[in-house]
Amino acid sequence: MTTGVSLKNVRKSFGSVDVIHDVSIDIPKGDFAVFVGPSGCGKSTLLRMIAGLEDTSGGRIEIDGKDVTEEEPADRGVAMVFQNYALYPHLTVFDNMAFSLRLAGAKKDVIREKVAEAARILQLTDHLAKRPANLSGGQRQRVAIGRAIVRQPSVFLFDEPLSNLDAELRVQMRLELARLHRELGATMIYVTHDQVEAMTLANDIFVLRDGWVQQAGTPLTLYDDPDNRFVGGFIGSPAMNFFEAEVTGGGDGVMQARTRIGQHTFTARHTGAAPEGRTVTLGIRPEHIALAEDGLRAKVDMVEQLGGVSYLHVKLEDGSNVVVERHGLREALEGHTVGLTAEPDDILVFDPEGRRLR
Amino acid sequence: MATKNKTLRRNLIALSLIAPFTLTFLLVFAWPTYKVIQLSFTDAPLIGAGEWVGLDNYRDLLGDRLFWIALKNNGYFLLLTIIPTTAIALAIALAVNRLKGWVQALILAVFFLPYILPVSVVTLIWAWMLDFQFGILQPVIEFFVGERVAVFRDPYWVMPMIAVVTIWWTNGFNVLLFLAGLRNIPQELYEAAALDGATPRQKFLRVTWPLLWPVTALVLTLQLILQLKLFDQVYLLSQGGPFNTSQVLLLLVYREAFQQNDGGYASAVALVLFVIIMVVSILQFQLLRIRGKR
Repeated sequence: MTTGVSLKNVRKSFGSVDVIHDVSIDIPKGDFAVFVGPSGCGKSTLLRMIAGLEDTSGGRIEIDGKDVTEEEPADRGVAMVFQNYALYPHLTVFDNMAFSLRLAGAKKDVIREKVAEAARILQLTDHLAKRPANLSGGQRQRVAIGRAIVRQPSVFLFDEPLSNLDAELRVQMRLELARLHRELGATMIYVTHDQVEAMTLANDIFVLRDGWVQQAGTPLTLYDDPDNRFVGGFIGSPAMNFFEAEVTGGGDGVMQARTRIGQHTFTARHTGAAPEGRTVTLGIRPEHIALAEDGLRAKVDMVEQLGGVSYLHVKLEDGSNVVVERHGLREALEGHTVGLTAEPDDILVFDPEGRRLR
Repeated sequence: MATKNKTLRRNLIALSLIAPFTLTFLLVFAWPTYKVIQLSFTDAPLIGAGEWVGLDNYRDLLGDRLFWIALKNNGYFLLLTIIPTTAIALAIALAVNRLKGWVQALILAVFFLPYILPVSVVTLIWAWMLDFQFGILQPVIEFFVGERVAVFRDPYWVMPMIAVVTIWWTNGFNVLLFLAGLRNIPQELYEAAALDGATPRQKFLRVTWPLLWPVTALVLTLQLILQLKLFDQVYLLSQGGPFNTSQVLLLLVYREAFQQNDGGYASAVALVLFVIIMVVSILQFQLLRIRGKR
């Protein structure tokens, strides 16, 4: 497996503010990598550094094994798709896509051939003579992608490309991007704050927060086995539920912890040492909570009924909210008191600093 | 009945809203324009009525050597000002646009300062700077042409120097327009162009210039109108001399009306200038728009 993009101890600071701290990651060639995180986490900055639009304060950026840290954006073999498309408004779709080829002095028939090919892949053939102003949002985004395709870059960079589209179109474009990745086989790096996009598109997800990579891995690794409370809470929708608890016992690969609110004892899978009296946080995903006679007492406040799936918003004694996912629910549960339980394998334990205890 | 009242009330409100403008427009524009047109067919003095003379004033005009000189000078002045002032304003705007924060505000203020000065102050400043004996610019002129020049009394220097004064005076406003236009171009387009491999020169020619074209068309048209109305600077700096080399149409109107007391003839000249400005500016703006749409 060869490396497509490699960052080695990359740092970025604006004045005295560090926005990227010592990031080292390897993205295999042909991978679909997603940088995900809340706004201000540095994911876009990192992408722009790979593109060469931001200077690097320290460290090395390599693309296809070549150090490009000091190279101009155009010489890095990357193409970028911007959030606001960044189409040239005075040029037609054809001229937008042909722009880089013309600058590079390509022959007319070569330009026509490449643009036609990109237009065919993106179903833009009928729109080549139009200006961006006369296109829909989805078509504009496809032109922006087409502009990237004709350059045949070794790395595609996407900066929140779908966030200006409506929900339905977003789903459709997501599928098209996945298809495009399969067809072109190029390395793609995709930035988003939307964890659904990250889960559905990525081979590898990099979760960022405050300029640090919190965890890297496949979507399901991050979902099933998060390294810390932040990743656990960020990946997955609705988000993971957290309960403050105190360790009351353990051994034989499990531990018991009593919740601070409701005084219910959960048993969680845990092999390390767990001194009694230690404060921990238990994380349980909505689909892993079962309703039972005994269990953590809670009152059903509201039910979001989607037909197949239902989300129960239940309140604990102190009013804090917990989300429970049910399938095929048909009873009216609002106002009922229920008990919440979960299997030991489905309960994740975090220390007070948010680190995962395994 | 109720709807009828409502419609009536709405119409009254609409009328009351447009009335102030309509009345002002009729009083200070439409009525005087009508009077000028009427006057241009008479031999009226500046004040009072005159006899109807038909097209005599216009016939005289075609045979008036001074009218043709003035018209030619107006054209010469357009050549001297419009393109240079647009080019200079664009260059300054591009430079100022690269600055940031308070430095940008300060530099912009410096370039804009002349624009807020009254024309009499502007001409006084330049008359001093170009004074034959004491002007601080005379050594510069001496350096280039080998001798001092009384620029506003020299047939070759007078129009170009009035153009320089005019550009210095009015350029700040154009810089402001260009700067607003530049700020409207999204930064992302330059980033996309950088990734597409554009050099700074290509970024300007293929992104900045085409996207700035609507502003350029506006600046060119505003300049055309403004510079055709040239009067104050000439009146204050050279009074149309020497030997009528800075005689322009508005100065001719002023002379005929206020010095020769010939209101009818002055009206004819004014009307011709009015028609020229209207036709040329509409024509130019349409041409520029077509080019922009291409």
